[in-house]
Amino acid sequence: MNSLKRHAVAAATLLLALASPAFAQVTKYTEIKTPSLRSFTVVQPKRIVLGNGMIIFLQEDHELPLIRGSAAIRGGERDVPAAKTGLANIYGQAWRTGGTEAKTGDQLDELLESRAARIETAGGEDSSRVSFDVLKGDFDTVFPIFVELLQKPAFRQDKIDLAKTQARTGISRRNDDPGQILGREVRKLGYGSDSPYARVPEYSTIAAITREDLLAFHDRFVAPNNIILGVAGDFDSAAMEKKLRAAFESWKRGNGAPATVPPSGTPAKAGVYYVAKDDVTQSNIAVTHPATLLRKDPDYYAATVLNEILSGGFSGRLMSHIRSEAGLAYGVGGGIGAGWDRPMLFTVQMSTKSPTTIQSIELVKKEINDLQTTPFTAEELQHAKDTLLNAFVFTMDSKAKVLNQRVLLEFYGYPADYLQKYQHGIEAVTAADVERVAKKYVHPDQLAVLVVGNEKDFDKPLATVGKVTPIDITIPDSSPKPATAAATTTATTTSADASALVKKVQDFVGGKAAVDKLQATKIVSSRTAKTPGGDIDVEMEQTVQYPESVYQVVKTPMGEMTTVMTPSVAFANTPMGIQDLPASARADGRFDLLMVLKSMDKYTFAATGSEKVGDVNATIVTVSRDGASAKWYVDPATGRILRTVRNTPRGEVVADFGDWKAFSGLNLPGSFTLMMNGEKQGSATIKTVEVNPTVDPKIFQKPASK
Amino acid sequence: MRDTRRSTPVLAVCLLLAASSLFAQDLASFEKRTTLKKLDNGLTLIVMERPEAPVFSYATVVNVGSAREVPGITGLAHMFEHMAFKGSENVGSTNYPEEKVSLQKVEEAYAAYDAERRKETGADQAKVAQLEQAWKDSIAAANKYVVPEEFSRIVDRAGAVGVNAFTQSDETVYFYSLPSNRVELWAYLESERFLHPVFREFYKERDVVFEERRMRTESSPFGRVIEQFLAAAFTAHPYGFPTVGWPSDLKSFSATDAVNFFHKYYVPSNMVIAVVGDVKTAEVMPLLEKYFGRLPKAPAPEALRTVEPEQKAERTVVLHEKSQPIYLEGYHRPSATDPDDPVYDVIEMLLSSGRTSRLYRSLVRDKKIAAQAQGFNGFPGSKYPSLFTFLAITTPGHTPADVTAAIAQELDRLKNEDVSPEELASVKTRVKAGLLRRLDNNAGLALELAQTQTLYGDWRELFRSVDKIDKVTAADVRRVANATFNVNNRTIAYVDNSPAKTASATTPKGESK
Repeated sequence: MNSLKRHAVAAATLLLALASPAFAQVTKYTEIKTPSLRSFTVVQPKRIVLGNGMIIFLQEDHELPLIRGSAAIRGGERDVPAAKTGLANIYGQAWRTGGTEAKTGDQLDELLESRAARIETAGGEDSSRVSFDVLKGDFDTVFPIFVELLQKPAFRQDKIDLAKTQARTGISRRNDDPGQILGREVRKLGYGSDSPYARVPEYSTIAAITREDLLAFHDRFVAPNNIILGVAGDFDSAAMEKKLRAAFESWKRGNGAPATVPPSGTPAKAGVYYVAKDDVTQSNIAVTHPATLLRKDPDYYAATVLNEILSGGFSGRLMSHIRSEAGLAYGVGGGIGAGWDRPMLFTVQMSTKSPTTIQSIELVKKEINDLQTTPFTAEELQHAKDTLLNAFVFTMDSKAKVLNQRVLLEFYGYPADYLQKYQHGIEAVTAADVERVAKKYVHPDQLAVLVVGNEKDFDKPLATVGKVTPIDITIPDSSPKPATAAATTTATTTSADASALVKKVQDFVGGKAAVDKLQATKIVSSRTAKTPGGDIDVEMEQTVQYPESVYQVVKTPMGEMTTVMTPSVAFANTPMGIQDLPASARADGRFDLLMVLKSMDKYTFAATGSEKVGDVNATIVTVSRDGASAKWYVDPATGRILRTVRNTPRGEVVADFGDWKAFSGLNLPGSFTLMMNGEKQGSATIKTVEVNPTVDPKIFQKPASK
Repeated sequence: MRDTRRSTPVLAVCLLLAASSLFAQDLASFEKRTTLKKLDNGLTLIVMERPEAPVFSYATVVNVGSAREVPGITGLAHMFEHMAFKGSENVGSTNYPEEKVSLQKVEEAYAAYDAERRKETGADQAKVAQLEQAWKDSIAAANKYVVPEEFSRIVDRAGAVGVNAFTQSDETVYFYSLPSNRVELWAYLESERFLHPVFREFYKERDVVFEERRMRTESSPFGRVIEQFLAAAFTAHPYGFPTVGWPSDLKSFSATDAVNFFHKYYVPSNMVIAVVGDVKTAEVMPLLEKYFGRLPKAPAPEALRTVEPEQKAERTVVLHEKSQPIYLEGYHRPSATDPDDPVYDVIEMLLSSGRTSRLYRSLVRDKKIAAQAQGFNGFPGSKYPSLFTFLAITTPGHTPADVTAAIAQELDRLKNEDVSPEELASVKTRVKAGLLRRLDNNAGLALELAQTQTLYGDWRELFRSVDKIDKVTAADVRRVANATFNVNNRTIAYVDNSPAKTASATTPKGESK
């Protein structure tokens, strides 16, 4: 059967070969001829230097009706003080989301997305970027926003807070994924944990970043003589140049480029470093030491060939030996790092199952030793060089790539013909060159070995590799709760319009004087509550001692239920016993209307939109404190609260207020209805309100357990 | 603010028209440069000329993924993908005829060893050890013929970039890019892969795949949640299997299993190959025909029988572990070929695309309960009825329950309120521009052409999908939302790291050796 099939195929190919004599039958790949690559002109972008020092590259590309641009601005995370680590990231986010002087970020979102246009900002290690991507017909609408973002950003506080929440989320999650732990800790070992290239944001450094810091960062770096702008797409260069000159030529010079920042840390000593992680079945392993190479060094070419021999594709030594031949890893790779303007690290990384951890470390170390002891064969050298040179065309296979490279070279002050030199440099590398750089830049005796894993499952104790130093990756608790971080920014977060509206709310309730004199309130209400057994009527008595101690008794047919929430305790006392309440319940209790109006300085208010409630177009005020928030839907004309919305662990609770009337000198809602997750939960009618009643302090104390 | 809003509908409509006409021109230009040819053996070839630079990319889509597996061989589709890098009869061997004999011996030795160790009663451990040693010896004998990584060495040295492949529930895809003077080399190597595959170094590669499982699934909180989520959401359909395979199967299936799987599914009529770049159709098509025409014609695999039954009860899966909460919520939806598919695409955009999207605005911007929140289609596949899935990453202090409530609120909005004309127009404009932005890249085009041809039987669907989305109405969105987003059709999976529960859950652990 098999042989029959093969005959049939052979006959068919024979016929085909007869029919088209150009195609000879091939059995071995070496028989295939390689025609020379067709000649191909790389179109270089047009370089323009404005009088104020701004450098612009224009690259026409008429394939699609799109225009894309990106401004690279020198200065980044490495230029900020250690105490504010994370600033460039917050800056990069809030720059775009915080909007321009003329438009909020939310308005920009609407405007851009309805046109399928994008403007994005990002803060990086040594630079920040603003980019746009627009259908060519929308260029004249969108480009002015790009300019405005460069020249008149607003960094609105609500978006700085949002970026900080994102950053805190990142910190809280940074020990979940072992690969992420490895990447972070290996940089700390290689550069030293105090190096600008290794340090990581902490809750405290994020909390320390202020709006003023972001504005100062912007003023320091964003100036025409520190910007390289590249624009590519479907435009006429002369017309585009005119538009760009009109937009930027009058922009005043500022500070020039910041100085390059050296690594300046204290690298770890040779040895073994261990991060314990007990929820993994695999060890993540890295070995490292500092490297001293830059891309502009003549040795860079030989080092690139060495890296290709060690770690190129699937056929490099590491993948070939450790993955294909030993079956020990899915991924393994590394090499000598070389930065554009600063040295990097020599590293090799891999992951393997816990029971082959030590075996794998030994293999990796052997491969590194072999770089100095096993001669590079002529075949290895030629393979690496062919691989690099034949793939060289992919560095310039699109006009956008050519443009981006020119911007990059300009950014780091490299000559425009760097890539051509690179090609010749690789061609000229000899085996002796590779041997020399292997000895110069690789130091098998200086390796710090890092393992993230579960040592009890290792093949041998980690100490067999060397002296083990444990690394504690516990996330510093200096400011662990979102509370502290938010509190530090409270004073500045409230926007002027939200603040005015909240004052209006206060006035509506009775005015500042009436609210100020409140020390305590006791409110009795009757409520209808939804239970699995049907609706029941209960009476609720709530005593609040300001600023924020709450005592609440609910009388139900099943018995009394007491809830107490103060800054120090939070518990419920029910017929089933005493239970502590979660922090979320306490946070929830802090959004009582009078409590907020009494201590407005502890909350932040942001006007976050508008929505119809009944016939009124209500302004939504987001009230935030300690990372929690509630939304007030306020009638902007009167300051009357129509609705509040809170997110609780059980779901979203919506309260609709009505029947506002006078109670003991205060104007309060006489009734309200409660909805949870869109379903009606009950309603309430206020019966009495007592202002400044005598409050027995004992009601807030937690009784001993029954 | 209000003024802007009021002017939006008119503006948006104008923009939509402007984008459409530009768009139509560009698509017509791409369509004109694309040629499809179906060979006598059933193989589909697609060539698109895009002579921007002397390079080309290709994608081979084989219409088989983990959804065609059955218990015992889960992970095999992906395992075969790895084997496709091990060479062929003419690549990777010093002496194939002798290697072939030695590989047969490996299979015999493995079958004996595997049968003994898997005996349900009375496995003789001494015999297991002896058979295992014999198997390992046979592997060592076969390895003598191996030229390590010869396939990769040839393509790397020719200047290939992006040499890789992936396996999903629906399909297995192979791809890379080369300078355009290497088309014939590529056609030879790619056809050899499927004409003369050799399952050498199978068991070592199985270990590599298991490392991939440890990395992506076992040692990653995301991987762990996703595996549990899919296993709960699908009770009958193989979409519930992890593509990488269950551990027991990965430790057990054989090269013989892989050969059988290959012969069943890697038949020309089940494959589409797309080439995009600096090629001339008139020259390259005969060349492709010469090499790929060699693949023997074989019957197409039978269609999958199992259809996931209607979900009649909500399912919730909780992973008690130390990592921070990750939240997934899924609803069954019909396959990509369903007429309502474009409506689901619109819903996905409304919920997830950009900073105007509803989930971003609600969960991330306003409620600040999530750092990331999205809803997306086609998980884990789209060929068969699959899931509309929500993913959220909570911010510190917020719980999965907060997310459930907030998503429910957005789904209620979709069900009960008409999407505004502005919002709908904005989505449609972005769908069009999104397609346009994907057209400037050979590798992406090759992949999308081959995938679209495979899924719909017509690559033009790639461009037509936009017209279908254009026809979606506000009423469609409400109708489909009401039909889909119901609690009994819901599966929720999340990580709960509250200390008390986690402590008792994580004590027993460790890799069985």
